[in-house]
Amino acid sequence: MSAAGPQGPPVAVHQFIPTLNPRDATGSHTLLLREVLRDAGWRSDIFAEAIHDDLASEAYKYWVYPEHAAEGDVAIYQFSTSSAVAGFVAERTERLIVDFHNFTGPEHFNGWEPRSEERALLARHELGLLARRAELGLADSHFNERDLRRAGYRRTTVVPVLVDYRRLGAPPDPRVAAELAAAKTGGGIDLLFVGRIVPSKGQHELVKVLWAYRRLYDPLARLHLVGGSSSFAYLKALRGLVADLGLADAVRITGDVSDAALAAHFAAADAYISLSAHEGFGVPLIEAMAADVPVVTRGAGAVAETVGDAALVLAGTDPLYVAAAVRRVCTDAVLRQRLVAAGRQRLPQFALDAVTPQLVAAVTSVAGAPA
Amino acid sequence: MSDIETMTGSGSSPDPQAYVAQVMSEIEEEVRRRRTSGDLPPKLERELDELFLAHSPVAGRGGDLTEALRMVDAATFVDPVVPVESERAAGTVVKKGMRTVLLWYVGWITHQVSQFASAVSRALHIVEGRLKELERQVEVQRVPGAGIVEMPAVDRAESWWVAPAIDAVKAVPGRILHAASGDGWLVRRILDAGGDAYGVDPRSDLVEQGVLTVSDLRGEDLADHLRAVAPAGLGAIVLSGVVDGMAGGERTQLLHLVGLTLAPGGVLVVHSLTRAAWDGEEAPFEADLAPGRPLRATTWQRLLQQSGYRVTVATGPGGSDYLVTAVRATVPLPEPTPPR
Repeated sequence: MSAAGPQGPPVAVHQFIPTLNPRDATGSHTLLLREVLRDAGWRSDIFAEAIHDDLASEAYKYWVYPEHAAEGDVAIYQFSTSSAVAGFVAERTERLIVDFHNFTGPEHFNGWEPRSEERALLARHELGLLARRAELGLADSHFNERDLRRAGYRRTTVVPVLVDYRRLGAPPDPRVAAELAAAKTGGGIDLLFVGRIVPSKGQHELVKVLWAYRRLYDPLARLHLVGGSSSFAYLKALRGLVADLGLADAVRITGDVSDAALAAHFAAADAYISLSAHEGFGVPLIEAMAADVPVVTRGAGAVAETVGDAALVLAGTDPLYVAAAVRRVCTDAVLRQRLVAAGRQRLPQFALDAVTPQLVAAVTSVAGAPA
Repeated sequence: MSDIETMTGSGSSPDPQAYVAQVMSEIEEEVRRRRTSGDLPPKLERELDELFLAHSPVAGRGGDLTEALRMVDAATFVDPVVPVESERAAGTVVKKGMRTVLLWYVGWITHQVSQFASAVSRALHIVEGRLKELERQVEVQRVPGAGIVEMPAVDRAESWWVAPAIDAVKAVPGRILHAASGDGWLVRRILDAGGDAYGVDPRSDLVEQGVLTVSDLRGEDLADHLRAVAPAGLGAIVLSGVVDGMAGGERTQLLHLVGLTLAPGGVLVVHSLTRAAWDGEEAPFEADLAPGRPLRATTWQRLLQQSGYRVTVATGPGGSDYLVTAVRATVPLPEPTPPR
């Protein structure tokens, strides 16, 4: 099992996470962070409640941790949702760092997913529970840091999430690329959004924008919604809206896709568009910058600080307004060039080699320097 | 070339931020023009919203009962005449035949379903009407929340109560919250004394002034803030200008939240005007508008002792204000009963 790290110095910095998933931001961050910690000289393994089949050899179930525990261990809890792991970590005595990626608030699930609403309320409680124990709260953004401070975390710092956006440099999936290219030959722009299909991500607002865009500017425009769904009710409503608007051929809901397929979508996109109502960081925004795709986005949550001046940041979701902004980005070569250039300038601060020392310094402040 | 494209000559602006700002204003202008010209009438945008709402769970529609009832009304009629279009050649004929044969049966069933739905809808409309009437009556009798009531003579850095308040909180483990912090005058003093203080105040204008010199001032309502703080997450809470004008229920709720957020061994400091000062000519106008009146110091003492605090009281030299200092029991108390 590769989860067993090389024998190193006595201090171990282990990570705990609710679900280790290869294709979500927290899962990728956790895997990358493990390598960062090992490279820095700590022993480090991952302990999770649920482990994706593809990563079965990368982590242990969290309840076996006592068998691995040693005096002086430091625990990093990857906080992104409610989980039994939070209670487990709260009751342990290891020095604790909470790495906070934020979670979607209960208000965003209200009326849609009662269970998710309940879990979000639990997550809020767990965040407070861990505040009493945490020696450090790590936040992906200042927006997330504010939430940590409000939850009672006394010592906090901001370090961006680890994103290996070089994965987008992988060769695009040829089948997906061919499909997208075939559609493009008929005309029309391709708009892209990447994220889970849940009410807070606002995919229905994107569908409205597409409808307005097709009516006003480009009747052949298409929208690609990439990402799995964790709200059946919302997905059903979204499909209903798409059908009612006669956009079944123009809106493609792909579900989860491979890295290669994702690369193909970014390569084909004329603009990346996000109207999410809540983002603790917004990894796909960085991925869009890495793929030289101009971004039009609503400035909710941490989005504005993530994109800086490398996107058109809008205040709301008015379909006409957003459609006009997308049109401008797709037709104004100067603007497009400036957004892409600003994105390229912004990327280095999120690059692995920039973020890694910050993370190591933060962990060292709790665990001490590795021997 | 579209109208937008014709505006891109502005791209020669050397300052990228200025250019983006100009682009945004041109987009706004474009939107205004499109709206005026009727290219995308507001009615159509509303219809888009309604279309999505039609697919949403009722509770996901922002809790608007009238809107939900409108949806119910629209769905009460069950149409027994099913569509017969078909992609297959004989499909339409077959479906039409089946519909004709079954209509007498399906029609009878759907008629009853429609009747039932209409009856439910009528009942809901009656409930809605009564709810609205109740809301109107409650609104008239609603007690407004207490504002911040500060008297210039006692709410300032040189006042007699400031030093003992700082002494009581500066060494506690954990963060120290001051409400209402105003421009952060007391937060600054506590920070200088070595405490880890921050402030909360709903008066955003004062907070904006204060953040220039005090890093952690937050413009929000105290109760909202305390609800977001982790249980036992605070080492001390200083309340000044906050409790004096509170109505009974509001005060009970605040004490409940303080009980949840103050760590065992934590310190609660309450500075309040006396009733004499409250009724005096020097009192600010907010005092007249407040829903409640200050408690006597002995009442605070009793209230807090009942909740397990060790309490001391000091009265100001002029008798116009007093300071209550309460130390919470070091063992966790049973969770306070939430106010009803």
